[in-house]
Amino acid sequence: MGIEVRDLTRTFTVGRRARRRTVEAVRGISLSVAPGERVAFLGPNGAGKSTTIKILTGILHPTSGDATVLGIVPWEERRRLARRIGTLFGQRSLLWSELSPRQSYRMLAAVYGLDGASEARRVAELADLLEAGDLFDQPVRTLSLGQRMRCELAACLLHDPEVVFLDEPTIGLDLLAKQRFREMVVRLNEDQGTTVLLTSHDVADVEHVAERAIVVNHGAVIYDDAVAVMRRALLATKVVEVGLAAPVPVPDLPGVTVLDHSEQSLRLVVDTRVTPVRRVLDALLAGPAVVDVSVVDPPLEQVIAEIYERPAS
Amino acid sequence: MSAVVATVPADSRWRDLRAMAAALRTSAGQAWAERGSLAVALLFYVVVVSALSGVWRAAATNGGGSIAGYSAIALTWYIATSEAAVMSVSQRLIEDTGRDVADGEVAIEMLRPTSVLGLRVAAELGRSLVRLTGIIPVGLVLAVVVAGAPPRPAALVLAVPSLLLAVTTNVTAQHAFAGTAFWIRHVGAAWFLYLKLVFVLGGMLLPLEVLPDGVAAVARLLPFQAMAYAPARLAAGHLEPWLLLGQVAWLAVAVLVARAVFRAGERRLQETGG
Repeated sequence: MGIEVRDLTRTFTVGRRARRRTVEAVRGISLSVAPGERVAFLGPNGAGKSTTIKILTGILHPTSGDATVLGIVPWEERRRLARRIGTLFGQRSLLWSELSPRQSYRMLAAVYGLDGASEARRVAELADLLEAGDLFDQPVRTLSLGQRMRCELAACLLHDPEVVFLDEPTIGLDLLAKQRFREMVVRLNEDQGTTVLLTSHDVADVEHVAERAIVVNHGAVIYDDAVAVMRRALLATKVVEVGLAAPVPVPDLPGVTVLDHSEQSLRLVVDTRVTPVRRVLDALLAGPAVVDVSVVDPPLEQVIAEIYERPAS
Repeated sequence: MSAVVATVPADSRWRDLRAMAAALRTSAGQAWAERGSLAVALLFYVVVVSALSGVWRAAATNGGGSIAGYSAIALTWYIATSEAAVMSVSQRLIEDTGRDVADGEVAIEMLRPTSVLGLRVAAELGRSLVRLTGIIPVGLVLAVVVAGAPPRPAALVLAVPSLLLAVTTNVTAQHAFAGTAFWIRHVGAAWFLYLKLVFVLGGMLLPLEVLPDGVAAVARLLPFQAMAYAPARLAAGHLEPWLLLGQVAWLAVAVLVARAVFRAGERRLQETGG
């Protein structure tokens, strides 16, 4: 039992009196997340993802449709569900600034009904998993943002949730801290089988954490597939990167544009709907100057931006 | 998954109480760690009590030694206690809670398997009790130095539980008021009004007996007198244990109202999204 959503809708009434109107924030979303999956839930601002997450965590009722998380209807049994899910919001803290994380964990353990022995065992387990044991006894205000987020993740995982909702968890972190945080989430999923639903505007989060991406826009699911497939199948363009021993002319072929060109390298974007990559490679390899070639997918940002522009199916 | 985490017995009321006790301890720890702001609060308390008690002593002296049955000494103990009761509680609690409702903080707290109101009240009580623990000895010393021994030590002993009840009632009632933020976005006006009611009708600035009869009669029917007047009157030497019973009754009312407001507010948040 993971997450099951069928024909979920949510409308809001906005404005007053004559300007009163109904806005459809979620329009018939259906999706399914299996236990142990790592799924990115993406969409531009106002796409309906926050509303969907609120419904799935039980803090908002849907207008219509069905949803279960771990077999529980969230808005009917919010508190029961809360004991089995974890939530982490990048811009909100679960920890008390003047106290050590360990002191905050003591309070959260009581909130989640953990006894003293379970709390101690779980904190030790998380210190090991998140390589954060040395941070747990320092006042939170003295921690760097990256260190704090690892402690926040531990707070979110203290009660051993089966599903975690991570909302922009890496916002504000530096590159290294982001990378470390992503590794922790993947390790958590692989070691403990925790289902991860991640929302983020950072494409690298999606790339390094998620196995699958669900994209919503205008309140509806517009894409749902593996991240690798998303990258491969959705854009007809490829980037060809060439290392050169000597300058070469750019192949004069339709659908080929130059990203950059120097005496030692050449980067081209190839629209495979117009010209197959192979023709471009044949043209380049005809001369002796090419010493290295690689064909790569375009950046995921570009893929996602293209998906956002699609109409809802 | 890792080994299933053992939990304490599943009775939800027991769990809520345990969570509240933990929140109280944790926030008290946080307040104690912020000793700088505690020191500022104590200094402010000393200044306010010194000034107000000076005014009241002068008024009592000019009035033939007492005002409405309160001697100059009793008025000093009154002011030291009424200020202790009110200054131990955050004055901006209604505004802060309203902001937390408006910016979604309360919605996030609803993701925990326990009472949002219970945790909030417990956390605020933790902070208030640290302040009260600091204020009580300072107030005792100040009143003794400025006015002399308490008019009636037995009544002063009763003032201690009365102070605890006053602080708890105030914190709970402020949450009940703040709950209007589930419906009204900006509760600044409610906060301002509440504060003034506690200052005047709650007897923080002056004993209710000093107010005109009609106003005093109304004030006695309102919950605000349980937040300042009751412990202050006891400390001023009036051995009236029924004041504590009145406080308990008002605390019960405040708890019931706050619970009803938060339940309805949380339901509204779930139904309308705020």
